[in-house]
Amino acid sequence: MSSSPNTETKPDSPTEDRTTSTLIGRCVDRCTASIRGAFLLQFGLWLTAILLFTETVAAANGVALANASRDPLDIPQWLYISTGGATVGASALLATFVTDRVYIRSLHTWSLSRFTVENRWQTIGWIGRWCGVCLLVLAVYVGFTGPQLPNASLTVLLTFVGIRAVLPMVAYLGGNLWPAINPWRALVSKFPTGIRTYPEQVERWPAVAGLLLLVWVEVVFPVSTIPRVLSMVIIGYTAVTIVGAVLFGSDPWFTNADPLSVLFRFYGAVAPIQRDSEGISVKLPGSELTDSDLITDTSDVAFVVALVWELTYSGFITTQAGASTIEAFVGLLSYGGVQARAIIVYTVLLVSGYIVFFGAYWYAGTVTRRLTGTYLSARLIAFRFAPPLAAIAAGYHLAHYTGLAVSLGPALGMALSSPLSPPANPLTLSPPGWFNALSIAFVLVGHLLAIWTAHGTAYELFSSRLVAIRSQYPYILVMIGYTVISLWILSLPGALPPYLS
Amino acid sequence: MESEPFHRSTPNLRLVNYPSMSETWCEIPPDESPAGTCEYCGQPYPTQNRLILHKGVEHLQQLDADEQDAFTATYSDEEAELRTFRLKALGVLVLLYFGFLITYVIVT
Repeated sequence: MSSSPNTETKPDSPTEDRTTSTLIGRCVDRCTASIRGAFLLQFGLWLTAILLFTETVAAANGVALANASRDPLDIPQWLYISTGGATVGASALLATFVTDRVYIRSLHTWSLSRFTVENRWQTIGWIGRWCGVCLLVLAVYVGFTGPQLPNASLTVLLTFVGIRAVLPMVAYLGGNLWPAINPWRALVSKFPTGIRTYPEQVERWPAVAGLLLLVWVEVVFPVSTIPRVLSMVIIGYTAVTIVGAVLFGSDPWFTNADPLSVLFRFYGAVAPIQRDSEGISVKLPGSELTDSDLITDTSDVAFVVALVWELTYSGFITTQAGASTIEAFVGLLSYGGVQARAIIVYTVLLVSGYIVFFGAYWYAGTVTRRLTGTYLSARLIAFRFAPPLAAIAAGYHLAHYTGLAVSLGPALGMALSSPLSPPANPLTLSPPGWFNALSIAFVLVGHLLAIWTAHGTAYELFSSRLVAIRSQYPYILVMIGYTVISLWILSLPGALPPYLS
Repeated sequence: MESEPFHRSTPNLRLVNYPSMSETWCEIPPDESPAGTCEYCGQPYPTQNRLILHKGVEHLQQLDADEQDAFTATYSDEEAELRTFRLKALGVLVLLYFGFLITYVIVT
């Protein structure tokens, strides 16, 4: 039967509000004790993990840009990995102690003074985007004419330190700035747009394909080492974006098909600062992820999984284990040149790993359905539990790119201050040893945020608290799996991806 | 934890706002028939208890006294089950904690 889930809303009278608030007050009192206990235990677990692993594990850096050598572990690898997995599992168990619907809801909807920027938004956007255009033009120009040294080139530094590392961090730690600085939006505004209507049935699939393609280009082409190649890729991206936006209209293109805009939208959903039609508000990190508007199609799920997978992938191929895996596969193939075979192996690994990640996630939805006996479709369950993956991706991103942002940040500053003649040997910082422990903490924090938001989602989906708890089991297992894999990658010694000099 | 029967105003399920509202978000397995369907929103439920809980959580204001009593009773029953669950969860946490503690002592 077709049951569009209930749509009615009840107007709350003032008396009910009072009753609700006293009830919320009582619930808060009741839950504070258990929450405090939960946080203390979590804190203890993290502290143990961080203390134990200080100066033992280093972060994976961006592909081929900078490659830190990683120290071996002081404790057996299996123990390190299972401690990480157990931390996530234990946090999920701790979250199940919070069973008060009103309290969970109050945490997820808590927000601080909304202030409106709508009247100034146009101006801010105009200035930001045209500044973006200036930087884009400068970066492309410098890529062709400037020094062909990655650490001194504004093109490479702006792309990898600025857009790949720092801007997503700003998006999930603060708020999504991308709509206000997206240079392509400014460029497109000068063209007549919307010649055809965007085919609705393809939803966000073009963005998924675009993201995987960008990752593939980052791996296969020397974009992070030769500025000229990067400039050509940027020109290609600009051409595709302008043609797409002119054909299908600016808003449909940037909402559905532009991988960067969609990426920043999902990272921005983790952030505490949120902008909607009513203005800007401050919320608890991750509380936007329980919103049912975020994921409305399978392609959205695919995109969020792609965020998690691309970081896992680029982390893996910059380790010794990743390098030897690729060498082994290239050795198995017998046709063609080494370079071509290597590209095939990299591509197959990218696509097949992604399918496994996506399959694991989708299967969890089916298992949840079987486990709870609910009549809600597996598709709906998968949609509602997908946003927490953005928090996991944010954790991975922070773990993988903090070191890069810190070490090459000063170089970016220098290149920006004198873009045409940057110093050939810019200041490159080497992050202290405790940075390595930070990356483990970031991975775990991302997972804990995901566990907590999934908990909130489960209580919105299911009226029975026991069913809500049970519905999370498959996702907790998937998250433990993701944690184990990413902690394992972080513990592996680093290497340059082979065959891609 | 004392059993607070229920709260007056709980939020609605926010499954709405999907672009294609014509789509079916509920699927009943072919070999099953629902124990009941919510008369307020038409959602089917596999067991009577879940239907009662759903109505209490989502449509409390519309329920009559008997239905509210049924909800209170079911909610309290679930509270008892939850208490058992919490005990088990606590047990697993203690096991995990000491298991890892001992492992670390042995290994390092």
